[in-house]
Amino acid sequence: MEDARGTPAILTARRAGLVGCTRCGRVHSPRESTCRRCGSALTSRDGASLQRVWAWLMAGMIAYVPAMTFPMLMTTTLGQQQENTIVGGAIHLFDEGSYFVALIVFVASVLIPISKFIAIGYLALSVRSSVVIRGHGRQRLYHVVEFIGRWSMIDVFVVAILSSLVRFGFTATITPGIAALSFALSVAFTMLSAQSFDPRMIWDAYEDDDT
Amino acid sequence: MSEPRPADLEVSAPKPAFWRNLSFVWAVPVLALVVSLGIAWQNIANRGVLIEITFPSASGLVAGESTVRYREVAIGKVEQVTFTPDLAKVLVRARIDRDVAPFLDEDARFWVVSPKVSARGITGLSTVLSGVYIEGAWDQEPGTQTFAFQGGDGPPLVQPGREGKRITLLTHDGSLISEGAPVFFHGIEVGRLEKPRLTVSSDAIIVDAFIEAPHDRRLTTATRFWDTSGFEVSLSGAGLSVNFDSLASLVSGGVEFDALYEGGRAIGPGHVFNVYADEAEARKSLVTRTSSATVTIAAEFGESVSGLEAGAEVRYGGLQVGEVTAISARVQDTDQGPVVRLMANLAIDPERLGLPAGSGEAETLDFFEAAVEKGLRARLGTTSLFNAALVVELVEMPEADPARFDRAADPAPVIPSVKSDLPDFTATAQGVFERINALPVEELIDQAIRTMASIEAVASSDGVRSAPDAVVALLEDARALVNDEATRALPGELRATVADLRAALQELKDGGAVANLASALEQADTIASNLSESSAEFPALVADLRAVAQKANALKAEDLVAAATRVLDSADKVIDSDAARELPPALNGALDEVRATLSELREGGAVENANATMASARDAADAVARATERLPELSDRLNQLVSRAEGLLSAYGQRSEFNDETLAALREVRTAARAVAQLARAIERNPNSLLTGR
Repeated sequence: MEDARGTPAILTARRAGLVGCTRCGRVHSPRESTCRRCGSALTSRDGASLQRVWAWLMAGMIAYVPAMTFPMLMTTTLGQQQENTIVGGAIHLFDEGSYFVALIVFVASVLIPISKFIAIGYLALSVRSSVVIRGHGRQRLYHVVEFIGRWSMIDVFVVAILSSLVRFGFTATITPGIAALSFALSVAFTMLSAQSFDPRMIWDAYEDDDT
Repeated sequence: MSEPRPADLEVSAPKPAFWRNLSFVWAVPVLALVVSLGIAWQNIANRGVLIEITFPSASGLVAGESTVRYREVAIGKVEQVTFTPDLAKVLVRARIDRDVAPFLDEDARFWVVSPKVSARGITGLSTVLSGVYIEGAWDQEPGTQTFAFQGGDGPPLVQPGREGKRITLLTHDGSLISEGAPVFFHGIEVGRLEKPRLTVSSDAIIVDAFIEAPHDRRLTTATRFWDTSGFEVSLSGAGLSVNFDSLASLVSGGVEFDALYEGGRAIGPGHVFNVYADEAEARKSLVTRTSSATVTIAAEFGESVSGLEAGAEVRYGGLQVGEVTAISARVQDTDQGPVVRLMANLAIDPERLGLPAGSGEAETLDFFEAAVEKGLRARLGTTSLFNAALVVELVEMPEADPARFDRAADPAPVIPSVKSDLPDFTATAQGVFERINALPVEELIDQAIRTMASIEAVASSDGVRSAPDAVVALLEDARALVNDEATRALPGELRATVADLRAALQELKDGGAVANLASALEQADTIASNLSESSAEFPALVADLRAVAQKANALKAEDLVAAATRVLDSADKVIDSDAARELPPALNGALDEVRATLSELREGGAVENANATMASARDAADAVARATERLPELSDRLNQLVSRAEGLLSAYGQRSEFNDETLAALREVRTAARAVAQLARAIERNPNSLLTGR
C-alpha cells in the first residue's frame, strides 16, 4: 500500500460510473446487466466471488486428504499386489535412487497443491484484511496460481497412462486407486477456486485509500 | 465557491440474510466432505480384524505383502512382523476379513506355507513365485472370537473342520514312527500320525493319530494297529520275501490297521490302541487282548515242558483256540510221595472253540467237562520240525485212561493230560534198525569172497577134470539157489521196501510232517551204510569170478571138468552151508522188519517228533546215493561175467545137457543182474525223491 499511495490517483471504471466486461473488456453503463458485445454477465464487483473461492478451496482441500492417504497405484506383479500412496511412491522412488523422478512427483503432487491452497487462501483473506504484499505482488501470485493449476494434473496423467499401458495379466498389472480420483478432483476444485477469485478486488482497497 | 451540496446519501442496501446470500457452490465442499468421510468410514469399517499370531520363526514373511489364506483364498494380509517383548518368538499382526473373523476361535490353526520337499512329496511349490504365506484352518462353526494364536511351522495333521476321528496309539518303540507318518488301511493312506511323545509315568510312547472320514468308521474294538515301518524280510517255506508298504513309510515309518475279527464295537474319540510290531503279532494278540471273554483252565504235564512258553498256542484240531498264559511247577503228594507236576495255564477263547457267541465261563467249563468224559486230553506237541517250541494240543483220545475234568481245582480247573508219544516212536524205530544193523551181512560177503578165492585156486589147479555130473549137480544147486523163492524175492523185497518207503514218505508229506521222512531216512542210513560196505565188496567178488572165468576159458575141457568137479563140490558145500542158506531168509527177515517198521510209522500217525533225526537222515540218503553209485558197476560186471561165461560155453558147441544147464544158470544170473540194475536205478532215484518229495 505504500507504493499504492505513492502512485497518482487512477480513474477506475467504478469511480467513473462504468462497468467493464471481464471477458471482452468493453465498458458499459452500470445499468446494463449483460455485455452488449459478448453477452456475458456484467457486474462491477462479484459479491459472491469470495464465497465461491472459499467453497471450492475447501472442497479441494477435503479431496486432497484421501488423495494423500489412499493408494494411488495398485501394482500386481506375479501375484503380489502392492499398493502405493503418492508420498509412499515418492519415498520408494527416492530409496531406489530415482531422485529426479521422486522430486518431480513430490513437487507436482505435494508441494504445488499445498502451495496453491496457501496462496489462494492468502489472496482471499487479503481482500478483506490488512495485507503484507503489495497489490502487484498479489496480482502476480494470482497469475502464477492460475497458470500452474493445470500442471498439477501431471500425476493423474501418469496414473492414467500407466494403468492403460501396463496390463499384462498375471505378470504385471497397474490399476488406479481411490487417491487418483481424489487427487484429480482436488486439482479441479483448486483450479475452480482460483478462477472464482476476482482479481479486481485486490485493488479496491487502494481505491478506497484514494477517495 | 461551490454551492453547498447535500451530503451524499448514504444508501446502503438492506443487509441480505446470511442464508440468502450463501452461494450454492458451498454444496461442493460439503459433498466432498461427505464423500470423503464416507470413503474413510467404509475403509475403516471394512478394514478387518487385527489378529496376532506368534511363530517360532517368520521365514519369508513380509509385512504388507504376505497374505493370510484360508483354503488357498486370501482373506487377509500381514501388517506387521515383530517380536514378542522377550524376543522369544516372532509376532505377526495380520488383518483378517471381517466376515471371516467370527470363525477364528481357539481351534483355529495357522502355519507358514513354504516350499517343502519330503518323502511324502513336494508341497508349497506355488510359494516359490508368490512368496511365503500364512495358511489358516478352522472349523465351520463361529465360536468365541480370539485374537491371539500360536502358529506352527507346518500344517497341523488334524486340520480343524475336517471330518475324522482322533485316536491315540501306544507303542514301545518310537524310533520307527515319526511325525506325519502315514496310517494305512490295506495299503491305502487314510490318516496321519502326530508327534510321538513319551508318557510321563513310563517309557511307553504315545502318538495321536487322525483317521480321516469316512475311513474312521473302520475303527472298532476289533481293530489292531501294527508297525509297517521300514521293510520286512522273511524266510519261510515259500522262499525269501521282502515287504514294504510305501516309500514314505520306508523313510518316515507308518502304521497299518485292520479289523481282525467281525463284530467289533464302535469306539469313541480318543480310544487308545496298541501298536504291534507286525501283523502276525497283532493277529496273535487277538486271543489275549479280548481277554474279557477268555476262560482260564490249567493243564498238568508229567513230562518236561521245555520249549513251552507263555504265549504258546493252544490248539484244538490244529486251530488255535487260546494261548498259554503261564507255566508253573507244583508239588503234589501222591502215593509214591511228593511229585513235581508242571502246570500250564491256558486262556481259552470260547468263541474260537466254536461255542455260541456270548458263552461265558460256565458254558465253556461244561463243554470241557463233557469233552473230557469222551476222552479230550491236553497233550504237548511240536509246532514244526525245525524248532523245539511246544504247543498244547487238545486231542480226543477215546481209548485214554478215564479221567475227570477237575472243575473245582485251584486256581483253575484242570484238564487231564496224556504223555506225548513221539519220543517212544523214535525209540522203537531205532531198535528196528539196530537189529538190521546186527545182521551178518559182512560175514556172508567175506565168506563168498573166500569161496570164490578157493574156486579160483581149484580152477587154476591142474587136477581139474571133466566132471559133468558134478557140474550139472552144482549148476542145479546153483539154479536152485537162484530160483529159490527167497533169493528171487530179494530184489522184489528191496523194491517193495523202497516202494514202502516212498509210500510212507508220501503219507508223511501229506501229513504235513517231513519229520517222518527224516526218521525213516535215519534208519535207512544205517541200512545203507551196511549196504555200501557190502557193495564195496562186490567188485572184488566179481573180479574173482572173472578171473575164474578167464582161467576156465584157458583150460582144456578135460582139465576144466575135473577141476570144476572139485570146485563145484566145494562150492556145493559152500552153497549148502547154513550161512548161505540162511542169508536170504535173514535178509527177508530184515526187510520184513523194515516194512513192519514203516507200516508202524504209517499206522502210528505219530509224526511230529522226528525232526531230531533229520540230520542223520540226510547222511543216510547220501550214503545210499554213494552206495548206489557202485551198483551199476556191479551189474555191468555181472553182465560181463555172463557174456564171458557164454563165450566159454559156446566153445563147447553142442547142446549138451551141461550146456543147457549152464545157459539156464547164466540166464538166471543175468536176470539177477538185471534186477540188481533195476534196484540200483530205483535207489539212485530214491534218495532225491526222498529229499525233494517229488
